[in-house]
Amino acid sequence: MSSVIVCHACDLAHRLDSLAAKARVRCVRCRAELYRTNDGNLDSVIALAATALALFVLANVYPLVALTVNGSTRMTTLIGAAQAFYEQGYGALAILVAFTAVVVPLMQILTLLYVLVPLRLGHAAPGQKVLFRLLTALRPWGMVEVFMLGAVVALVKLSAQAEVSPRISLIAYGLLMMSIAALTNATPGEQYWRWVSTCSGATRRTAPRRTATGRGTGGRE
Amino acid sequence: MTSLVTGRSLGLLVCMRCRATVRAIGEEQSACPRCGAPLFVRRPRSFSTTAALVITAAVLYIPANVLPVMHTHEIFSEEDDTIMSGVISLVHQGSWPIALLVFFASIVVPLLKLVALGEILLAISRGRVRHTTQRSRLFRIVEFVGRWSMLDVFALSLLASLVQIQSLATIQIRPGAFAFAAVVVLTLLAAQTFDERLLWDADTRD
Repeated sequence: MSSVIVCHACDLAHRLDSLAAKARVRCVRCRAELYRTNDGNLDSVIALAATALALFVLANVYPLVALTVNGSTRMTTLIGAAQAFYEQGYGALAILVAFTAVVVPLMQILTLLYVLVPLRLGHAAPGQKVLFRLLTALRPWGMVEVFMLGAVVALVKLSAQAEVSPRISLIAYGLLMMSIAALTNATPGEQYWRWVSTCSGATRRTAPRRTATGRGTGGRE
Repeated sequence: MTSLVTGRSLGLLVCMRCRATVRAIGEEQSACPRCGAPLFVRRPRSFSTTAALVITAAVLYIPANVLPVMHTHEIFSEEDDTIMSGVISLVHQGSWPIALLVFFASIVVPLLKLVALGEILLAISRGRVRHTTQRSRLFRIVEFVGRWSMLDVFALSLLASLVQIQSLATIQIRPGAFAFAAVVVLTLLAAQTFDERLLWDADTRD
C-alpha cells in the first residue's frame, strides 16, 4: 500500500511505498524532514514530563543566583528577573522574559501531561486537538536553553567585580532544560497523532494492552 | 520541466500544524481533519507579512545597536552600555569565549537574519530561480539560530534584578534594550510567517 506525502517546505509530492519501524524520511528536493519515527514510547514521555514538572517547581521556588558585594548579599529568582524589567518601566520586556522562560515551558509540560495521561489510559482528553496544535505552536517560544546561557553570560559579567554564585534553582533550571530537550526530541510533530491513532481505538494494530473497542478498561489487562 | 510533481498540482494540501497531507475539497479553505488547523495552498499574505516584519526589524536594528541598553551607576562612576560595548567589556575582562558567544548571538545573528530574509524576499519578488537550494538552506539556518539572540535580553534581566545594591551599584535598563528585544521578536515572527514554498514555486513553474 502506498501513500502520498507532500513536503511542507517545498510542496513536492512523494510516494511512500512502505515505512520501516524506525525511519527518517527527508524531502528529495529541499531536504526537509518529512517523517520521523522514534523509540520514545508514551510511558517514558509521561515520566519525562512529570520530571520536568518537578524540576520546574524547584526552579521557580528557590533563588537562582546570589551576588555578594562588600558583605551584603542579594539574590534573585526566575520570576524576579522578569520583575526587574517591570519595575523599571519595561513591562513588555517583563512579559517577554516571563513568557519565554517561565510560562511557555510550564504550558508545554502541563499540556503534555493533561493530554498524554488520558491517552495512555485509552481515551481522549477534552480539547485534545486544540492542545496538540497549541503544543506545536508554542515550541519556538520556549527558550529555557537560551535563558540558561543568558544566566551564564550575566554571571561571567558580574564575576569581574563581585562574588556571584549559582543557587539551587539554576541547577534545577539546567536539568529542566535537558528534560525539555529530551521531550522535544521524543515528540516530533507527527508523534502526537501517531499516539492518537494507536491509542484511541481507531486502529487495532501495534497497540498491546489495548482492547479493540478502545474504551473503558483503562488500558490494562 | 523535470518530473517534479507538487502537492498543488495534485490537489493535495499540507497542514502547516500537524503536517498531514490532505486532499483539497473545492476552492474553499477548510480545516485539517486530523488537527483542526486551517488549511491553505499557501499561507495567506505570507510574503507581505514577512516583508513588513523584516522592514520594521531593520529600522529598529539601528536604535538597538546605537542606543544604550543599560546604565551602570557605581559610587564613583557612571556608565552607559550598548550591546557592542557589552561585548568589548567582556573582551577586556578576558572572557573571550563568552564575548564571542554574545557577539554572535546579539550582533551577527540579528544582522544575518535581516540580510538573509531580505535577500530571500527580493529573490522571490524578482522571480529568481537559481540557487533555490542554497536559499532554502539559509532560511533553515536563520530559523534555527534566531532564538539565540534572546540571550542578551535574559542576561540583562538578571543583571538588572541582581545589581540593585543602592549604596554601591545599580543597573538600570535603557531604551536600547526595548529596541533590541523588538528586533529579536519581529525577526522570529518574520521567519514563522514565511511560507518556504514560495521559494520553490518559481522553480516548479516552467
